[in-house]
Amino acid sequence: MQKYDGATELLNSAIESMQHVFSCPIQVGAPLLFSQTLIQSDVGVLVGIVGDLEGRLIIEGESRIFTHLSQSMFGMPLEGEMLHSFVGEMANMIAGNTSTLLANRGKRIDITPPTIMVGQMQMYGFNRGIKIAVELEAVGPVNTILLLQG
Amino acid sequence: MKKILVVDDAAFMRLMLKGILSKNGYEIVGEAENGQEAVEKYRSLSPDLVTMDITMPIMEGVEAVRQIKKLDPNAKIIMCSAMGQQTMVVESLQAGAKDFIVKPFQEERVLESIRKTLGA
Repeated sequence: MQKYDGATELLNSAIESMQHVFSCPIQVGAPLLFSQTLIQSDVGVLVGIVGDLEGRLIIEGESRIFTHLSQSMFGMPLEGEMLHSFVGEMANMIAGNTSTLLANRGKRIDITPPTIMVGQMQMYGFNRGIKIAVELEAVGPVNTILLLQG
Repeated sequence: MKKILVVDDAAFMRLMLKGILSKNGYEIVGEAENGQEAVEKYRSLSPDLVTMDITMPIMEGVEAVRQIKKLDPNAKIIMCSAMGQQTMVVESLQAGAKDFIVKPFQEERVLESIRKTLGA
């Protein structure tokens, strides 16, 4: 069973990674604990994490926020399938940079290719989750979520 | 005009790389969205250089580098990945990659790496 401080270390590293990946300042909200069910409203992306720390990292938010983010980061307001690909790549960069940060602290993790989820849906199959709202300056809010089995 | 094969499972990232390379005088001879497709396209297209992602379905990028180097020991491959930890860089270079670019990247970093690799 994963220790709780392992989940905190994983989430803190993911937030630190977001500060590096996003080209705008971010403000991080308080963590919200939940269990059993997660409801996604619009667009999300899931990356599986295995190794010394384990869990499933989800970045989710409204399509229009990700469109603003693509404009902010790359100068292109993306929509449709290309927006979904951007969201997947964004999560891949966050998870990849998280793995690099953790490696520098002696923890080894591997990540799966991102799974992109479109539309409203409910997710089950985890014991507990931690959600953190991240406000991207001049872009809007996204949620960073870690789902845990332990 | 030098021919480049762009390998990444994300269509968005292929679009970004193609845009950078095309406007700087390189020909995008093909693209692939996993390592297996990259090996097949390397065999059929014989590009001058390959940009290679690591985390991809079906076959990941480092294994694709190994297989391409078996086909062509002189293949010029640049890794382009968000997984920038030292072990991953070392593993990629040992497999035969010439350089390693960490995502998110700056356009100039990509061009510098390609110029250096093609000139070597």
